[in-house]
Amino acid sequence: MDKPPLDPFEDILGVNFAPERLEHNLGAFRGILAEIQKLRQLDLTDIHPAVIFEPTAAYRRKSDQ
Amino acid sequence: MTASLWARPIEALAPLIRAGKVSPVALTESCLERIAAHDGKLMSFICVARDALEQARQAEARIKRGDRLGPLHGIPVGIKDNYLTEDMPTTAGSSAPGLQFPMRDAAAVARLRAAGAVLIGKTRTHEFAWGNVTPPVRNPWDLTRVPSGSSGGSGAAVAAGFCAAAMGSDTGGSIRMPAAACGVVGLKPTFGRVSRDGIVPHSWSLDHAGPLTRTVADCAHMLQVLAGYDPADPACQHQPVPRYAKALERPIKGLRVGVCRNHFFERNQAEVQQAVEAAIYDFAAQGATVVDFRIPNLEYGLAAIFAIELASSTAYHDVSLRKGLTAHFQPDVRTLVEMGRFVSAPDYLKAEQLRAVLIEDFRRAFERVDVIVGPTTPITAWKSGEWTVRVGDRDESVLAASWRFTFPYNLTGLPAISVPCGFDADGLPIGLQIAAKPFDEMTLLGAAHAYERTHEWRERMPQLA
Repeated sequence: MDKPPLDPFEDILGVNFAPERLEHNLGAFRGILAEIQKLRQLDLTDIHPAVIFEPTAAYRRKSDQ
Repeated sequence: MTASLWARPIEALAPLIRAGKVSPVALTESCLERIAAHDGKLMSFICVARDALEQARQAEARIKRGDRLGPLHGIPVGIKDNYLTEDMPTTAGSSAPGLQFPMRDAAAVARLRAAGAVLIGKTRTHEFAWGNVTPPVRNPWDLTRVPSGSSGGSGAAVAAGFCAAAMGSDTGGSIRMPAAACGVVGLKPTFGRVSRDGIVPHSWSLDHAGPLTRTVADCAHMLQVLAGYDPADPACQHQPVPRYAKALERPIKGLRVGVCRNHFFERNQAEVQQAVEAAIYDFAAQGATVVDFRIPNLEYGLAAIFAIELASSTAYHDVSLRKGLTAHFQPDVRTLVEMGRFVSAPDYLKAEQLRAVLIEDFRRAFERVDVIVGPTTPITAWKSGEWTVRVGDRDESVLAASWRFTFPYNLTGLPAISVPCGFDADGLPIGLQIAAKPFDEMTLLGAAHAYERTHEWRERMPQLA
């Protein structure tokens, strides 16, 4: 038996707003999306994001306490 | 004497209290009387401490006993309502059901208590520190206008003389914007300088804790108490804590004052532009070297802060979102929290990449300059209920306009301060923003104080009667 197709909002984004609420939020997001779309155009391939995974931090904090 | 105690800054009060010439009880009474007389209109406090006078009496008893006194001994300080406190409830500005915050002191609150401060009450925040209006708080300079936000209660309370200082939190400008709108000083220290432990999170990598005060020297006194390593905040750094009061003695001659001519000067209300250009001229007249430069990548900053802030806030409120509790949030905050679901993981990480680019751009700029100056906001305080405002030749949303100059320093974690630099034709304060290198609050405070002491803006207070 075929599984039903995934819903882009409910299944992938985890959004289960009522239709009118979804429409409202999408409308509010339009201006922000325009900014994000500009960001998407940038080639930042070689840039490490400003997020550092630091596995020793928890051990250091424990010893500081 | 009691009647005017509320109007004095910490820098004047602290030595008088230590010398036994000002009573903490009289000072606290003075503030409480002023709150009772005027906060019905301003609504800056959500909770006034029932034991404020008792705290002051204990402070006075310690003086009489000859106990060792902390640097803020007997000074009334307001606490933003997103800081946990062991003796006052925390709501984070929300009346949504099912929310309960622990009754314990945030790290910053514990430091203030240990320094002898009288915690006079909790100041209102825009719900979950997500906004720039802080309803129902009104601006002391014009009750028809907003105090900005999200630390609007703190800005209004300090400007009105309800307390000598108040704590704020700043994710995209929430200390500096209300400081500018209310005509007080607001300091966002370097990311990692002051512990955020016990502050209700908004966006983990953007949130900063800092004070709002009446003078730059008072910010230095507050930072002296607040700064320092705390293992409970994963972002807090082991860095030396200098004597910040020493910064106030620094000369301005030879200081390299940077002016980022794009982004910060492209679209401002005319009177804001004039006041800030006059301040830059004054720096030069005092012997500073003014260096113009540009950071074109700031064009992408709004996307980056929105992606990070929305995604982080939505992650924090995930349980509320799944339980449908966001329906009880204020309409603007509900929309922002729900919209975070639309930010994809690649967009979020691209925002973090852009952030690394901006950090490097500013590092390069700081090879040529010691501080960067510009407007704190492109607009002065706007009317309550207005959602668009005229900026330059166009109408712009207040949400987009108000934080345009503050969020770059949240993305980059740089220390930044807002100091009053004039008033517009309606008598509304204008803020000058100064930023410096990471953990160089000394240079930041020195430059801000050098500007402040050669102007009389700090002498003006709103007329509330």
